[in-house]
Amino acid sequence: MPAEVKQEQSPSNATSLAMMQEPQEMVEETVTIEEDPGTPTSHVSVVTSDDGTTRRTETKVTKMVKTVTTRTVRQVPLGPDGLPLPEGTSPLGSYTDSIDRRYMKNGGDRFITPQATSTLTRSYNNSYNDSYGETPESQYVRHYGLHDGYVDLADNYGSLSRGVNFRPPRYPYLPNSYRPENSYTLPIRKDDYGHVAQPQVPMGSSTIDLNRSQPERFQAEPYGLEDDRRSLGQDEEEPYELEPDYSTANRRTLQGANRGRTHREPLRDGPRVRGYADDPIETELIDERHPYIHGMYSAPLAQPERGSMASLDRMGGRRSPSIDSIRKDPRWRDPDLPEVIAMLGHPIDPVKSNAAAYLQHLCYENDKIKKDVRQLKGIPVLSGLLDHPKSEVHRKACGALRNISYGKDNDNKVAIKNCDGIPALVRLLRKTNDMEVRELITGTLWNLSSYEPLKMVIINHGLQTMTNEVIIPHSGWEHEPNEDSKPRDAEWTTVFKNTSGCLRNVSSDGAEARRRLRECEGLVDALLHALQSAVGKKDMDNKSVENCVCIMRNLSYHVHKEVPGAEKFQDPSSLQAPGSAGPQRKKKDDAGCFGGKKAKEEWFNQGRKNGENDKNYDTLDLPKRAEPTKGFELLYQPEVVRLYLSLLTESQNYNTLEAAAGALQNLSAGQWTWSNYIRATVRKEKGLPILVELLRSDSDKVVRAVAIALRNLSIDRRNKDLIGSYAMRDLVSNLPSGQQRPAKNLEEDTVVAILNTIHEIVTDSSENARSLIQAQAIEKLVAINRTSQSARETKAASHVLQTVWSYKDLRNALTKDGWNKSHFQVQGCDPPTVTATPKATKNGKPGYDDTTLPLMEKNQGTRKCGSGDMIPMDELGPDGYSTIDQRDKDCKYKAGDSSVDLTEREPLKNDTNRKHYIRSNRPAVSLVDACDVKPQPVDSWV
Amino acid sequence: MSFTPGQPVTAVVQRIEIQKLRHGDNLILGFSIGGGIDQDPGQNPFSEDKTDKGIYVTRISTGGPAEDAGLRMGDKIMQVNGWDMTMVTHDQARKRLTKKNEDVVRLLVTRRSLEDAVKNSMSRP
Repeated sequence: MPAEVKQEQSPSNATSLAMMQEPQEMVEETVTIEEDPGTPTSHVSVVTSDDGTTRRTETKVTKMVKTVTTRTVRQVPLGPDGLPLPEGTSPLGSYTDSIDRRYMKNGGDRFITPQATSTLTRSYNNSYNDSYGETPESQYVRHYGLHDGYVDLADNYGSLSRGVNFRPPRYPYLPNSYRPENSYTLPIRKDDYGHVAQPQVPMGSSTIDLNRSQPERFQAEPYGLEDDRRSLGQDEEEPYELEPDYSTANRRTLQGANRGRTHREPLRDGPRVRGYADDPIETELIDERHPYIHGMYSAPLAQPERGSMASLDRMGGRRSPSIDSIRKDPRWRDPDLPEVIAMLGHPIDPVKSNAAAYLQHLCYENDKIKKDVRQLKGIPVLSGLLDHPKSEVHRKACGALRNISYGKDNDNKVAIKNCDGIPALVRLLRKTNDMEVRELITGTLWNLSSYEPLKMVIINHGLQTMTNEVIIPHSGWEHEPNEDSKPRDAEWTTVFKNTSGCLRNVSSDGAEARRRLRECEGLVDALLHALQSAVGKKDMDNKSVENCVCIMRNLSYHVHKEVPGAEKFQDPSSLQAPGSAGPQRKKKDDAGCFGGKKAKEEWFNQGRKNGENDKNYDTLDLPKRAEPTKGFELLYQPEVVRLYLSLLTESQNYNTLEAAAGALQNLSAGQWTWSNYIRATVRKEKGLPILVELLRSDSDKVVRAVAIALRNLSIDRRNKDLIGSYAMRDLVSNLPSGQQRPAKNLEEDTVVAILNTIHEIVTDSSENARSLIQAQAIEKLVAINRTSQSARETKAASHVLQTVWSYKDLRNALTKDGWNKSHFQVQGCDPPTVTATPKATKNGKPGYDDTTLPLMEKNQGTRKCGSGDMIPMDELGPDGYSTIDQRDKDCKYKAGDSSVDLTEREPLKNDTNRKHYIRSNRPAVSLVDACDVKPQPVDSWV
Repeated sequence: MSFTPGQPVTAVVQRIEIQKLRHGDNLILGFSIGGGIDQDPGQNPFSEDKTDKGIYVTRISTGGPAEDAGLRMGDKIMQVNGWDMTMVTHDQARKRLTKKNEDVVRLLVTRRSLEDAVKNSMSRP
């Protein structure tokens, strides 16, 4: 499948986002973007953009996978009765069926012209009698009944490749134009053919043939990332022709011809094959094949797919000059699908490998063929060939499997799994050193990994192997770093890209998958090293990096709940976590009781205390680590913040940006010790301005991830203040203004995320609410509240408005701007926005949404803090927080005058000369300390 | 001790030999170090010159081998087993000190009291 985008959101997401009452509830999101590997990278982007997203909400119960609906104009074969022919699951059954319907009563069948049929039948009988002496019917069955089929055929092939006396007359090749190397490349190409072939039309075919072939042309699908390099340069059209033929009766009639072609197929053995003297029968053969050939040529509408074209060009070196002449010779045909599959069991290895290679080619971007291969039970055979000792054979088999596994038809993937293809692939990965084979294996695994039910299977069989064989060696990470050796950089090989893509897909398979990946030895270490090396080399836009970041992001999801021993780090005072609103609320509440002046003092003290706490966070209660951090612990060490920030600063790849922001979002969620550190570290690493800058990104999903990350980060009080003062404008500018959306035209989800972030920021901070007003947000919010088509947007906007109105000291300003209470109340006209009930029940704060109460009272009653009341900001002069809104308009980046907050403000400078935070991969004791902007004195016990 | 970039460092040094204490799998010296060229020298409470990025002894565990050997808090470590410690990162210093295969470390340290003592003795003819 081209791509799937999946998102996981924490159970709390859907509701808490909307509610926003408790900062403790945070949003986490795991987004996995799955893509199948493919050679033409341009396809990737195209396909991705087409793609829908999948959302998992609420404990991932609902998973929807939206994939591109490929515009496949597939001709549903209609029987004479006008009903679509069933495509049976049992090959035999279906064929029988189609025989009955198409062949027996094929009067109206557009696939076979009566004329052609008769011709073919004649020749079929002819050849059939020659070689077998069975009845046509049984012969037919043998072909499809797999095993029988190819045992028999194998004999024939054997004789064939031995060559000389097997039905030489069937071979229409011109000896002089046929050369062994070319034989490799089945040379029909439509474009080459066009002019040459066309003249052939009169020979045997009718206009009906023409018509018949045309619909098939359209099967070329707009997507398709399979690698056709291995393909034999066969014309794309051929597969389309094959489909109807082999699946319907006329296949029978073509038997003779097919037989002839079959022998040609082991092209490796070209010399043996060619050189058949022209024979009288040939004429007949040509005749009978005409429908075929004609079909190929008469497809003016079918454009060869680029990928395949390109691959052909790439093969240019291998092509010998005479290839074109072969191509121009239409007087042979290719083996049909059952024949090819049968040849996979041929005793001669080159036959096997050629058959597999041809299958790979046939399957390229052709879902029908893939399905047919599956139904003809070709997949177990291919899978069995993976263990073949000859590299040529297992390579080709792997190539075929790779193409078959690609696409949205998950049955193909399941078929590979059902014949133990996954362990076979993994086995081969362990065994082979051939880079190309490894690419094919990992590509296949990547394809397979996009199907949900296979993810765990892949993890079970392949996780450690992929890590050990690919991820670790290519990441440059070493278990036991030699002190003197330079740390190696990651190599962005295709193998690494494929494997990381596979792991990226499987990493989205829920808690158990995450656990397995986290605990996979060396995986996190290696990924981290690879990313650090990417940052070091400033090579951050490639797919491998994207995959790595996505894995890291997924593994960071729910770390605070899922990691072994996490409970030890749960913030005991989770309601009073440093920097979180807990203690402050209490204080403020108290302050409220004592009145203004006292309140102010309390506030200052609190602010300072908090500041100190924050400053000292790293020496205070950083969990003791006796040994260097390794494994999954690395996921949430504050050290990673630098890494993600570097990526956010430097990468141009939207997916990478989104994933890095998502990682921060995941890490800053939750109430445990590490998320406190992470939130503080993001600030100290000057990450906030980086994130804020990304709010201007053109990419919807980046904006969304950043917005949610900011929301989680603002659980930290200090972050909240900073974000409130510096990010508000960018947040607001992303909101649609009235009817007309901003240029970016953000999705509903993004708008809601931004509104929720704004809500979080203005909650408990009248100052931030003031910033919001100054950012001209009220107009937009009111507009959204009144006119938005989206209930979620309306609801989120109304929450923000209510919160703003709850600050009494702001009402004057609001009134001056022409707003009145009605603007801030829930809009009656929009029923979905009246959310009092769910909210109240959920948070147990029944008063909150009671619209009959004055908003302010409600706020006080429910929030216990009512900070807006007690701390008039204008009087907070000396405090760092309070100066912001007065000044930031003009000197946004000027450091505040507060001594406490000085260092904290600097981060928001829009520093374009930001250094990269590259550190050697050194999960050392000094991990956290070294993250400081100003390194705190590091102490190492020795 | 004076430190001018580009000039050889002259200092009054003391040799201190510490026998590592085996503590389970670990060999411990019983002190902690701070500083290093990758650290912010301004935050070093022990250095006279706040640009000095040397390695300093920040804490001594009571009764530990370092204390026994006479190491003191605030000592600046100049060498470890002959390896220069004035131009190393924090981590390099740590690694030098914690080599598993060495039971003994020989330090060359300097401290203000030493300098003062020498200065005093020189000024008093």
